[in-house]
Amino acid sequence: MKKRNPLAMVIGGILLVVFGLLLFMYQVRVTEVAVVTTFGKPTRQVTEPGAYFKWPWPFQKVHTFDKRIHNFESRFEQGFTSDGYSLLIMVYAGWRIEDSMVFFPRFRGGSLSEAEKSLEGLVRNAYNGVVGNHPLSDFISTDTNQLKYVQIEQEILERVREDAAASGYGVEVAFLGIKRLGLPESVTEAVFKRMESERQVLIDEIKYDGEQQASAIRTAANLESARLVTEAQAEATRLISQGQAEAAKYFEVFERNPKLANFLLKLSGLEAFLKDKTTLVLDPNTSPLELLLNEPSTPSGD
Amino acid sequence: MADAPPTPPPSDPSARGPDPLMDSGARALADALRSSFVIVRVIMVVLVLIFLGSGLQVVEPQDRGLVLRFGRPVQTSPGALLEPGPHWALPYPIDEMVRIPIGQVQSVSSSVGWYAGTAAQEASGQLPPPGPSLDPAREGYVLTADENIIHVRGTLRYRISEPGLSYQFDFADATNMVRNAFDNALVYAAVHYRVDDALTRDAVGFREQVRMRLDQLIGLYGLGIMVDQVELQVVPPRRLAAPFAAVLEAEINRSRTINDARSYASRTVSQARAEAEAIKSDGTSKRKRLVEFVAAEARRFEQLLPSYERNPELFVQQHKTEVLLRVLTNAAERILLPARRGQKPYELRLQLSRAPKIRNPVPPPPPDDHGDEH
Repeated sequence: MKKRNPLAMVIGGILLVVFGLLLFMYQVRVTEVAVVTTFGKPTRQVTEPGAYFKWPWPFQKVHTFDKRIHNFESRFEQGFTSDGYSLLIMVYAGWRIEDSMVFFPRFRGGSLSEAEKSLEGLVRNAYNGVVGNHPLSDFISTDTNQLKYVQIEQEILERVREDAAASGYGVEVAFLGIKRLGLPESVTEAVFKRMESERQVLIDEIKYDGEQQASAIRTAANLESARLVTEAQAEATRLISQGQAEAAKYFEVFERNPKLANFLLKLSGLEAFLKDKTTLVLDPNTSPLELLLNEPSTPSGD
Repeated sequence: MADAPPTPPPSDPSARGPDPLMDSGARALADALRSSFVIVRVIMVVLVLIFLGSGLQVVEPQDRGLVLRFGRPVQTSPGALLEPGPHWALPYPIDEMVRIPIGQVQSVSSSVGWYAGTAAQEASGQLPPPGPSLDPAREGYVLTADENIIHVRGTLRYRISEPGLSYQFDFADATNMVRNAFDNALVYAAVHYRVDDALTRDAVGFREQVRMRLDQLIGLYGLGIMVDQVELQVVPPRRLAAPFAAVLEAEINRSRTINDARSYASRTVSQARAEAEAIKSDGTSKRKRLVEFVAAEARRFEQLLPSYERNPELFVQQHKTEVLLRVLTNAAERILLPARRGQKPYELRLQLSRAPKIRNPVPPPPPDDHGDEH
């Protein structure tokens, strides 16, 4: 018995300490925020994670809440733009508990789903209001400068924030965005019809454009070929006249005796002219042929 | 077990009176108690070991570890997360090991812009036929800048970037948050694009726009993730599939027409170029011939000039005769007609045909001529 005593004491002591710690301490996880109630009244809020002291059960109680950002999605609902178009819009938001001291008593047991229901009303009011302040061209426009998509999101967010702050829910909306944009079902039918006719217009445009481009290419090619040929002809003419100019320098040679030059030119011209198969009809008195004739026959012509 | 041998054999006490029987019963009870104490002790030791051993945690290769001590993160600075491998943490109420899947590619898909129909229907091609309108409750779509309707869906692959604390601890449902951001990026990109740009002309730009918007939102929301890849599928409304296909076809036709024109153009121009080259080289050779001819004439002139000057009369006569003889030799037919003085000239008839036959000149026969002469 004497031998066992110290060990039992130690174990007993440890157990006592553990039990005491469980009674007097609580942990707040990094994702949590805690509210300590004293006799049911919230008295203390703990936002930093760690281990903390409290009075045991009958005096104090600890409630922890998820302080992370929660996901909220609205319904896909119809709103009217300032110029009377109806537009379906669905937004999402990230919200979190901002002040658990306010949040906890507001919603029974700090229920997140209760809070979301309240938030839904806020968001709906906000985007209905904001959509009504903008014409359709702020949502959808081919002119990028006119688009106010980001601005609209920001406006809705600001309005939700204001309302949330005013309502005293103890929640904060961290961000908000548009998840879907749509048109009422009856409008989609009209859109389809318009799209179809736009396709037809586009087809005609493409066809016309193709033909136009093709004919422009052909015309350019024809002009280019004509230009090439004309230039070549001009070049050829220039070459020939250059040749004539070069030939002209030989004229001074010929000038030494123009008579001979002309004679020689005639000779070679004659020879060239009569080079091919020709039929010659000659008077026998022509220079070498007169030899064929008898001496007396010449005068016999009388 | 070790206590078993010292106990006396059970037959002995049973043979004696009740006293020994009591004694043996008490002893058996004491034995049983003692052995069960041993078992309890062993169990306790094992439990303590298990309790202590529970502090040994293994971080898997795709994860990083983070210890929460009393709920507070121990490793908060970037790069301080626990590498994969075994790690020691204090047992349960004190430490909690959180595993953050950094490096693991996660994916979310968006289908707010996609038409109704299950994946099975789509795979088997048995989608319900498209109606004349879109019911917003069932069918998803996005609106483009030019107020057209298109369908778009996509898959986003992303990774948690270091240190990953915000992704892990700041969001109750981080995956859905990422999905919402992705949905928003698709709607945002669509209203900034015309239908044809989003579908065909600038599909890459459309994807870039989605990605840009995503990066922006990730930064804004503090999601702490990195976009790896964005895959998109953009299609025209099913009801208008045929008209859209017709536009594509028209575009193909257009490029074919233009290509035809281009090939005509290159053919024509290269022909013209060849022709031009021929004309130029013809000009060159003409020029060359002309110059050479005149040069040759000039040389000949210079050679002949001395002999001409010696006796012009003789020179002319000689050369004329020489040429005439050569011409006569070369001529195909030669006809001699004596000149008649004082009489009317001969009448000579030539029959000219397209391909002149030189054989049949039709002069009156020479004998007749002679007869006339007489």
